[in-house]
Amino acid sequence: MKEKTNKKEGTDAAEATVSGPDKAAETALASAKEGQASPEAAKEEMIHLIVFKLGAEEYGIKIDQVKEVTVTPSVTRMPRTPDFIKGVANIRGDIIAIMNLEERFGIRSVPLANDVNPHITYTLVIEAKEYSIGVIVREVPQSLNLSMTKIDKTPSFLQDINIHENYIEGIAKVNNRLIIVLDMYKILTQDEIRELKSN
Amino acid sequence: MKRILIVDDSFYMRTMLKNMLTDAGYEIVGEAPNGQTALELAKETNPDLITLDVILPDNTGLDVLKGIKAEQPDMKIVIVSAVGQEVIVNEALENGALSYIVKPFSEEKVLEVVKKALEE
Amino acid sequence: MKSREQEYKEIFIAEALEYFDALNRLISELEKKPQDDQVLAEIFRMLHNLKANAKAIGYLQISDVSHKLETAFGLIRNKELSFSDEVVGVLFDGIDLLGELIKSIDSEQQVEIDPVLIRNLDIIVDSLSDSTVELAKVQKFSTSRNLTLSDLIYIQVKKLDHLMNLVGELIIDRDRILSLSRELDNDELKMVSSHLYRITEDLQYSVMDARLVSIGTLFNKFPRVVRDISSAEKKEVNLELSGQDIQIDRNILQIMTDSLLHLVRNAITHGIEKPELRAKAGKPKAGSLQLSARSDRESVIITLTDDGKGIDVAKVKKAAVERHLVAADVADSLPDSEVYSFLFEPGFSLAKEVTEFSGRGVGLDVVKNAIDSIGGRIRIESEKGKGTSFILQLPTSIAVKGALLFEIDSIFYAIPLIHTDSVVALDKDELHEVGEVLVADIKGETVTVVYLDELLNMEESQMRLGDKTRLKGQVQNIIIVSYNNRKLGLIVDKLYRQQDIVVKPLSKPLDSIDLYGGVTLLGTGKVCLVLDVPAITKYFVNKR
Repeated sequence: MKEKTNKKEGTDAAEATVSGPDKAAETALASAKEGQASPEAAKEEMIHLIVFKLGAEEYGIKIDQVKEVTVTPSVTRMPRTPDFIKGVANIRGDIIAIMNLEERFGIRSVPLANDVNPHITYTLVIEAKEYSIGVIVREVPQSLNLSMTKIDKTPSFLQDINIHENYIEGIAKVNNRLIIVLDMYKILTQDEIRELKSN
Repeated sequence: MKRILIVDDSFYMRTMLKNMLTDAGYEIVGEAPNGQTALELAKETNPDLITLDVILPDNTGLDVLKGIKAEQPDMKIVIVSAVGQEVIVNEALENGALSYIVKPFSEEKVLEVVKKALEE
Repeated sequence: MKSREQEYKEIFIAEALEYFDALNRLISELEKKPQDDQVLAEIFRMLHNLKANAKAIGYLQISDVSHKLETAFGLIRNKELSFSDEVVGVLFDGIDLLGELIKSIDSEQQVEIDPVLIRNLDIIVDSLSDSTVELAKVQKFSTSRNLTLSDLIYIQVKKLDHLMNLVGELIIDRDRILSLSRELDNDELKMVSSHLYRITEDLQYSVMDARLVSIGTLFNKFPRVVRDISSAEKKEVNLELSGQDIQIDRNILQIMTDSLLHLVRNAITHGIEKPELRAKAGKPKAGSLQLSARSDRESVIITLTDDGKGIDVAKVKKAAVERHLVAADVADSLPDSEVYSFLFEPGFSLAKEVTEFSGRGVGLDVVKNAIDSIGGRIRIESEKGKGTSFILQLPTSIAVKGALLFEIDSIFYAIPLIHTDSVVALDKDELHEVGEVLVADIKGETVTVVYLDELLNMEESQMRLGDKTRLKGQVQNIIIVSYNNRKLGLIVDKLYRQQDIVVKPLSKPLDSIDLYGGVTLLGTGKVCLVLDVPAITKYFVNKR
């Protein structure tokens, strides 16, 4: 692979790998090369994200919060639970709640691109401290490795986003892409449970 | 309901004491088989009374007694000992134990000592 | 039935054998490093415990030998006796003898104690360091040394809980395999899976059995409790126990302990009258309290009956109306059984005086919650002036329970059998719109009926529980459930078989949703929601 030969020095700085059939791969790669140009990049901390789409925007979750990504299995609806809880599913013998973050945060969903199969969705199994929960997304999630310096910790221009800023870990800027990095642990805290109870 | 912590390294002794005391309407908040657990449980459960065996695996009962008294000076402690331990029992009484029960004990004796200690 | 004496004996033997094994290990260690104070202290402590325990339980030979050995080791510890080869031999013999004595407790055979051995022990204890006295050769009483382990082990309930959970998982997979083998229609697979079925069933019952304890372990605590409460209340009460040998899951009994204590206190303080009042009413001076247990299929029924003053239905109605639990005109027509259910409402109390033993703000609602939490039922029977009974129906085991499977709007549901009374099929015309709800005459009883699809799936603002036009089809399958003495008919879309299910608790954050008691996996791999009857009933009452 091309990037391998490029980083002879053994530095894994600012490498971006993208899985999945996406043309963003090239742009990510371009940014990787750009990162390697600066020598201090060698000491840079890396962050590995799973990137997915909610509405029109791209969102990311740190890979250590994601247990697995799977094609969504059959979901059993649970009456009298909040709308964003799609029900429960049997994932390898564990029965976990499946939720829709678009509905949870009131993000308007946008029509799917033509090449996306509308009948298949994907579930990210998020592993919180005491339990797991599934998050449904409509397109294949991607894996993205990037330097921490690409993450803006204090985004001030997100006034129009419905997600509470506490849930946002930062904004990653990779070339022309803007990825909102969510802290799933915070989303799945006590507030969430209280929200469920009041329904 | 008065709350009691039992410290004894013998499961048999703990069971007997527990049965006698719960039958009499006391609540057993914990059972410690050694000194370390005793010190932890004493702090954690803050019982109304502790029955303390003087011969324990890790500490001697006396060290446990002093340890608890240092942290919880008002703790009511009753010594449980066998015959032949008079020296230790005396030292325990000097160090703040309220009373003592000699093994093998009768139910009446245990309840009498515990009741009296709790009233003090 | 395991009496307390039997229990003490078993504990004593198990612990004594542990000490015996440890002593053998320690004395061998000591032989290598005779100056090790820690080892000496351990030996000393064990002999000390063995002596005290044996004395307490009455095995005087054991306490005697332990005492002699303890003294000997005390001397060694104080350097008054040297740990010479000769002495070591005697001590080993002594410990062997202890082992024989402990093992003989449970056997018919009496151990003959070799007088020479005792004499040798006495010599080393008494003659101190004066080693001029010859130690006689001891005839080995056990030439062929047998290694025996105790037949009894103690196990943490936690471990049994884990085992039970694993069995639950196994059963779910077994059912899946069974249904796959039918689909695939392969004879060999069918044979293997039916064998698997029988084995897992055996396993399930064995694990459930290992968790059972006799109810007597709890009941036997009550004579003392009753004595204390009645003497504080200045009442005379005779307690009668029965069914102590009925077996029940240890965790269920644990959860019921406080509830039963609460009910017994209530019966004495509020039920049974003072002797002079009883005399006036023509009753014997001493009140009677009966605590009994019996098995009924998969449940255990615990009944607590007093012959006290009974429940004053009019008073309960009045209090319920004052608390706005029910409208005054409705209250008048309520059957007694429904009136008693008000007693389980949070904070509901008729007691005026707060005594030491009862009425400290804890009401019957706490008892009800405890019983609900294990999927049991409670009901009251009472007659004014004659007495009151509390009847508790508890599952024998927690993890596996019989349930009725059904379907609503293409989703599978289950209701534990303990909450179901009966199943009926009624024509739509037999359902009547009364007020905001549907009612039906079921075996001469007017029962409120609710269409579960409407209750669960209709948007709350448009829910019309009294509207027959919402029903699909002509014949309605109705499951009659009962909670808190109130019957409720649940109309379901499709009714399936009765089946043993393993209820898995819902994981967070769904565990806070009361409507579901958990989920189970069907043989097909499909998730089935287990409805919580108490919560469904409460939800229905709120929406009505």
